[in-house]
Amino acid sequence: MSPSIRWPGLRRVFRLGRAADVEREVDEELRFHLDLAARELVARGLPEADARREAERRFGDVRATRALLVATDRGRVASERRADWWGAFRQDLRYAVRGLRMKPGFTAAVVLTLGLGIGANATMFGIVDRLLLKPPAYLADAGRVHRVWFVRRTSEGRDFAGTNTSYRRYHDLASDTTHFDVIASFVDPSVAVGVGTDAQERHVLGVTASYWRLFAMRPVVGRFFTSEENREPTGTPVAVLGYDYWRSAYAGRADAVGKTLRVGQRDYTIVGVAPAGFMGTSMGNVVAVLPITAALFEAIGQAEILGLYGFSWPEIVVRRRAGVGVAAADAALTLDFQRSYAQQRVEQPGLPPIGEFRPRAVAASVLRDAGPGESSEAKVALWLVGVAAIVLIIACANVGNLLLARAFGRRREIAVRLALGISRTRLMVQLLTESVLLALLGGAAGLAIAQWGGGLLRGTLIPDVDWTSTLADPRVLGFGAAAALAAGLLAGLAPAWQAVRSDVAPALKAGVREGTFHRSRTRTALLIVQGALSVVLLVGAGLFVRSFDKVRGVRLGYDADRLLWVNPVMRSVKLDTAPASQLRDRLAAAALRVPGVEASTRAGSVPMQGGWWWNVVVPGLDTAYTNHVGGGQMLLQPASPEYFQAMGTRLVRGRGFTEADQATSPLVSVLSRAMATALWKGADPIGRCVKISADTAPCRTVVGIAEDIVQSQFGGEPELTYYVPTTQWHPEGGGLFVRTRGPADRYAEPVRVALQREMPGDAYVTTRPMSDLLGTRMRQWDLGATMFTVFGVLALLVSAIGLYSVIAYGVAQRTHELGVRLALGAESRDLVRLVMGEGLRLAAIALTLGLAVALIAGRFVAPLLFETSPRDPVVLAGVVVVLLLTSLAASAVPALRAARVDPNRALRDE
Amino acid sequence: MAAELELMQGTLDLIVLKALTWGPMHGYAVARWVRDTTEEDLLVEEGALYTSLHRMERRGWIAAEWGLSDNNRRAKFYQLTGAGRRELKAQAAAFSRYATAMFKVLQTA
Repeated sequence: MSPSIRWPGLRRVFRLGRAADVEREVDEELRFHLDLAARELVARGLPEADARREAERRFGDVRATRALLVATDRGRVASERRADWWGAFRQDLRYAVRGLRMKPGFTAAVVLTLGLGIGANATMFGIVDRLLLKPPAYLADAGRVHRVWFVRRTSEGRDFAGTNTSYRRYHDLASDTTHFDVIASFVDPSVAVGVGTDAQERHVLGVTASYWRLFAMRPVVGRFFTSEENREPTGTPVAVLGYDYWRSAYAGRADAVGKTLRVGQRDYTIVGVAPAGFMGTSMGNVVAVLPITAALFEAIGQAEILGLYGFSWPEIVVRRRAGVGVAAADAALTLDFQRSYAQQRVEQPGLPPIGEFRPRAVAASVLRDAGPGESSEAKVALWLVGVAAIVLIIACANVGNLLLARAFGRRREIAVRLALGISRTRLMVQLLTESVLLALLGGAAGLAIAQWGGGLLRGTLIPDVDWTSTLADPRVLGFGAAAALAAGLLAGLAPAWQAVRSDVAPALKAGVREGTFHRSRTRTALLIVQGALSVVLLVGAGLFVRSFDKVRGVRLGYDADRLLWVNPVMRSVKLDTAPASQLRDRLAAAALRVPGVEASTRAGSVPMQGGWWWNVVVPGLDTAYTNHVGGGQMLLQPASPEYFQAMGTRLVRGRGFTEADQATSPLVSVLSRAMATALWKGADPIGRCVKISADTAPCRTVVGIAEDIVQSQFGGEPELTYYVPTTQWHPEGGGLFVRTRGPADRYAEPVRVALQREMPGDAYVTTRPMSDLLGTRMRQWDLGATMFTVFGVLALLVSAIGLYSVIAYGVAQRTHELGVRLALGAESRDLVRLVMGEGLRLAAIALTLGLAVALIAGRFVAPLLFETSPRDPVVLAGVVVVLLLTSLAASAVPALRAARVDPNRALRDE
Repeated sequence: MAAELELMQGTLDLIVLKALTWGPMHGYAVARWVRDTTEEDLLVEEGALYTSLHRMERRGWIAAEWGLSDNNRRAKFYQLTGAGRRELKAQAAAFSRYATAMFKVLQTA
């Protein structure tokens, strides 16, 4: 027996009993014992054969014991392996942490670079996840739930897809229970909730009782409503509260159930509370959920619309029965839609025949933005995902470059360790541990950036979505961690590989400085990739900025920045035509008394929001022709005499309206230029007759022509608009436009307060700056311009740092060579030229590559731009200048340092 | 030979640890030490003894290494680790307290 000295490290290296050996060792140990025991018995005089048997008897159950020992040892070997692995990992980690703490500047640069890249990606992922990927909260069997899109052929022969349909159509479709186990309909209007000063327009959800079955959830208190309570025409006034509203307005008390809540014109009995986070199939938070019939009544004020095919608003959501495919669902919905359309044509014979209208229904994603009519914002967001990925690639390339430089500086240390016998695999794992650690730190920084910057961006650019905080969203956190891990491996692989591959002998022999200077080809390539990608992003940024600029520059035909739309909401107040009209006149007069208000006018239609769409009939012109001209839609704007001056819409010919245009005087109208041209080509429109909607309607004489206005879309063909005096068209309806001296948003509240005093009973007014309504439509370009610019500048910055560090490093490496050149008679400015020329050469290669990629990619981004060619020369030239200037700046600092090299010292250091 | 006593639960580990305070031993030596020391008063089934050795090795109280026995055969030697020494101390103290208490109980007439 010999006690031996051991220490854990060595024990680990010469470890006993690897898994395969376990059984062999147990057998050997037992055999040894039994042999010895038998021998002792023989020595005591037992015959050989009996001794063996007796030894085994004394031992007990040999086979059972053996099995037990093997199992125990297997467990031990496995846990020792884990401990080994952890030990090595912790050692690597300690090593990495120590290395990073020794170079805080390097660490900070890398963490920040990766943080920006990961932050950009986490932000974009958060947006896209919410818009396109994540199913609504509580939705059961999300894969089988679809939003129904109705596709039809327009008169121009294009397919138009929309989700809005009529409640009547929902009824026609709801009978199909063979393919679907849930067919539900919903609307999400804003209606007045609360009474008195608390009354505010809020987002509510109106749903059929079947809608609840789409969700796997229970009410927090109370119950959801039943289909009996959704009875036509106006529904039972019962409401299920949204969780957040319940917490804020009722302090989360269970006895809220049974109380009443004023919604629109009626008091609703609260029957239950939806669980936290429930938003139905829409994106915003809901205050209350009502039966859809009740919600439609509060929002529209008329019950008859339930039976009209022509009234289009509700949307339909279905859940396929298990086993029914998507194609079968599409086919079934299309068939139902066509049947329903045929019925509609019986009631409205003027509609185009089915062969022309080609009605088709599609069961698409339950998320609206992921449907066939995907929003431009979603498209831009998808592009930005690609852009964010490019930013991350640039960041990785840059970090890879920094790590390469670091590995180069450490090549002696690495060579020593290799010479001492560390395995190359182990070394590689160690180096990768370092880069992954850096990336995880970067990931933490990135999530902080996404939390702060992302919140800012999402809130301002896509405000009507209820965003959850980045840090509270496990999907975004998971994405951030995965991105960090990938970035760490990506950035660390090349440097680690190169370090491991390096030859030991020369690195050990040569001193650090004597190592001959040779620019790493990998580093140059990485640099060029960064530069080229930055160019691509900058071109994208330029194109979107140009588009946004052009959209903002579009002549709208009215002064959006200085207009407020005032909408009176009557709630339960019922007024006859005359008093209703007088109230609106009083409002217009009251608005004028608010300081800063220049003009006010009555109006009935609101650009970008909606209004009266009535086509005109012109004696002598075919109805089929007038119904198709200019896209087939004409906007009717009832206007008072102040209208054109207040809106800033220019009259091109003839006159506007005057006080003389009364209900009893001859009927008149003003047409937009495009409408006049469309109807009568070149002929003089003044004095001609138009009839609203039907041939039987009275003639309205055209007295003036106004400039075209943007009603609902930027660009494209001018839209058709015509005007009639308020006195001659539903004088009891509509609202006001108020023109202010400065930006209108500042006057929204004072004007609302002043006008509220004129409102009778529980009626109230809302005021909304026109620029808000426009902003929604400009968002696509706004989003693109802002994000592309942010990412583009980020990329440029990161690339500039990369260029600087590579050139500066090169200069440091070449100090000796530069000194020799100076000693041989080179001038300082030759050295500056030498170094800067190198930076510019790299920039030129990056530019060429980047522009080539940008020109190819440009074709795909073109549909998202506004009147901007993807080859816009201003943008391309601008990017060339910006990149060249940046690379000049980045290489100027090291170049000047090169010029200051003291030849004496450089040579003496030898 | 006195009547053999059944081994009390949990005491086997204590005995094995105590045996190993004499230095590294293989299983057979441990078994013989137990038999000699207790003068065969305690019935220690040898299979259970090996189970105890392997279990304590897994827990890290003892460490094992292959070496050569007196008659030049490969044998698995066990020895106490730091953790094993601490365990022995703790278990021995606990057992003494237990035995004293039992003794007091049994002495009351």
